Amino acid sequence: MKTTAPHWLGTGRARARTVAVSGLVIAAFALTACASGGSTSGGSAQTDSGGDITIWVDPPRVPAAQAFIDAHPEIRVNLTQIDGTVGGKTLQQQFAQFNQAGSGWPDALFFPSNDDIAWASGPQINYTADLTTSLAETIKGYDPAVIAPCAVDGKIVCLRNDAAPDVFWYNKTFFDTNGYTVPTTWEEYATLAGKIATEHPGMVSGFTGDAYAPDRYLWASGCPTNDRLSATEVHINLDDPACQRAKTLLTTLSEGKALSPLGIFDADAATVGQNFVMGPGAVWWGDYLFNQTWKIPAGTMTAVNPLKWEGETTPSTGDEGGGLWGMSNHITGKEAANTVEFMKFVATDPAWQVDLSTGLPGYGPVQDDWIAKQKASNYFADNDTTFAAFKAATGYVVDKHAYMLYNTGGIWTETVTPALVAGNSVDSAWTTFGTELLNQAKSFGYTVVDAGK
Amino acid sequence: MTTDTLEAKPAESRPAAAAPTEGRRRRRGRRTEARGGWTLLAPYLILLLVAGIIPIGYALVTSLQRSPTPLQPQAGFGGFDSFITVFSDFRFLDSFLDIFKVMIVWLPIMLIGIVGLALLVHASRGRFGGIMRFIYYVPGALAGIANFVLWVYLLNPSQSPIGFLLQNGGFSTIKGVVSLDNLPFILAGMLFFQGIGTWIVIVNGGLNGIPEEIFEASSLDGANAWQVAWHVKLPMIRPWIGYAALMNLAYGFQLFLEPYLLDQVAGGSLPDQYTPTQLGFAFAFSNYNFPAAAAMSIILLVITLTIGLLIVFRSGLFGEEEK
Repeated sequence: MKTTAPHWLGTGRARARTVAVSGLVIAAFALTACASGGSTSGGSAQTDSGGDITIWVDPPRVPAAQAFIDAHPEIRVNLTQIDGTVGGKTLQQQFAQFNQAGSGWPDALFFPSNDDIAWASGPQINYTADLTTSLAETIKGYDPAVIAPCAVDGKIVCLRNDAAPDVFWYNKTFFDTNGYTVPTTWEEYATLAGKIATEHPGMVSGFTGDAYAPDRYLWASGCPTNDRLSATEVHINLDDPACQRAKTLLTTLSEGKALSPLGIFDADAATVGQNFVMGPGAVWWGDYLFNQTWKIPAGTMTAVNPLKWEGETTPSTGDEGGGLWGMSNHITGKEAANTVEFMKFVATDPAWQVDLSTGLPGYGPVQDDWIAKQKASNYFADNDTTFAAFKAATGYVVDKHAYMLYNTGGIWTETVTPALVAGNSVDSAWTTFGTELLNQAKSFGYTVVDAGK
Repeated sequence: MTTDTLEAKPAESRPAAAAPTEGRRRRRGRRTEARGGWTLLAPYLILLLVAGIIPIGYALVTSLQRSPTPLQPQAGFGGFDSFITVFSDFRFLDSFLDIFKVMIVWLPIMLIGIVGLALLVHASRGRFGGIMRFIYYVPGALAGIANFVLWVYLLNPSQSPIGFLLQNGGFSTIKGVVSLDNLPFILAGMLFFQGIGTWIVIVNGGLNGIPEEIFEASSLDGANAWQVAWHVKLPMIRPWIGYAALMNLAYGFQLFLEPYLLDQVAGGSLPDQYTPTQLGFAFAFSNYNFPAAAAMSIILLVITLTIGLLIVFRSGLFGEEEK
């Protein structure tokens, strides 16, 4: 019966002892050998490739890099396409490994999530170069509200690709046919959404399933989820009246069956998107989402200025992306000079920003040319109103919202989205969202101020 | 078996005059045997050192470092701080609870499936048994990503061949199907089909090792096929069942890829730290706390090693050989 035991598993006691002793000896060796390692700081000597540069971009930004390669044949570029999932973690993981290894960083890249700038510029990863001097002229071309996400502790550490404030989108054809009036306040929007959902079941007045959803509603209300007080202190309080009114709004929309729990990037969203009648959304939704992705017919959608909260005089809106270009601080000489050239190109050059970009350029001097080009395509139902809203919306983005090491959008998709998909109330998901937000912020080492109850 | 037979003959039973020559020859034989043993063991030992002992040593050293923080980016010696960080993390218990839920669903199905199907295959002799063994093995050949992609299609109500079942169950999108509540069942299904084929082949190998005489004796005693399977085959393959339980338990504890990728398919609506290994990964690559990640891996090692040893001794995995 001895054959029933796998021999290759069973070893004699003597052999086991030998193996154990050898193991201990090697472990002791390993302990001694590794005792000096362990630092994760990103500090290392700057290198110069002699001119070749390595660029990492997400899929929608490949044409930007390609336009640079075409415009600058004298600069050799190694182009890598990276995972562009908003709220994804792969990029962050790669950078943690580069810092462990002390090499491997790209010279410039497009961050898939704006939150990425928090870790990329933070002291632990310490990747981004200070562009304040090297790109001073370019930075001057930005509206301070547009470049604000790149201003970290007095330094400009990235360049904004496009301005991405939320405007209020609506389906003009649907509104005209059914005689609805476009809302001007968030409260009117909630009431009308319920009315439309009752009169036209299946019509959708908002998306809550993607990582931008809290930006669309909570940021637009001034809810302190990302109120950075210092490098280690953050103000979070979901009991704040600004958060509570956003919660009431979402509850009304949800109970009125006016929301889709899908995210705008979900594979199924293209079908649901055909039934989108109104809601807050970024300026890039127009060309990128409605026109190119969801293929909503021309002459249907129009944008107006963001909504106001009742009792307030100016509109309040959030911001959805408007991607950030970052540059490495690990390079010098010709390599750094060429990378600066690349940064300047993707932020300002009409070959990318006017001819190819789907979003309103962040860099002011090329905005009007981009608008002129977009107008020529005559996609929106009311082009003049739409583009006027695009330009005005930037000024209505609520401040006191920084990109943090914790990812508010990611926490939202893990807590609120599944609850709404399962048909649960906003109220039940809100508590979980709040608890997770506080836990995550603390796990990153932030001291949370005014956390409420 | 052969080792025991050789060692069972005591030297004292030989004639005294022949002892010195015999002894020398035996010593030389033992040396040759030892050399052979070490030669055979060497590749395994090297792998054990490179992929096992050294990483464990490295993890131990790393876990005793202090984690760099935004205020203090430089690391240093931190004692057991990283273990305290791990144990007191708000996700620590949840991740073990999650994996426990998966195990509760998956392991019994897996073990009953392995043993039941292996016994059926073994009982079906000839060409039919061979074909069945091949059919059972096919899902096992779809390892890793291929198995995952297959399941993504299966779980998407708008594409799946069982989409009508999902839609009747009230699921219209993949986000609805791949929810936290359904995850233990989805993972159990994925792991079952990925592993079952290989394990049937292994356990069937154990069944093939049982001498024919035993089955003949059982038949002569009047045992039917069911009684032979239950009273003869099952007790004899106990070590293999123990081994299957051990390896599947260890695999289950290290679950990472499936929940990680399912989260991406479900638009980020699953927790990033569903399993303990995902939590360890998050410590390293989200929180930049490599000491905590190392501490988490040491904790997992201790847990799986303890459970492993318990199973080894309970199932007599090694004991059988020394009787």
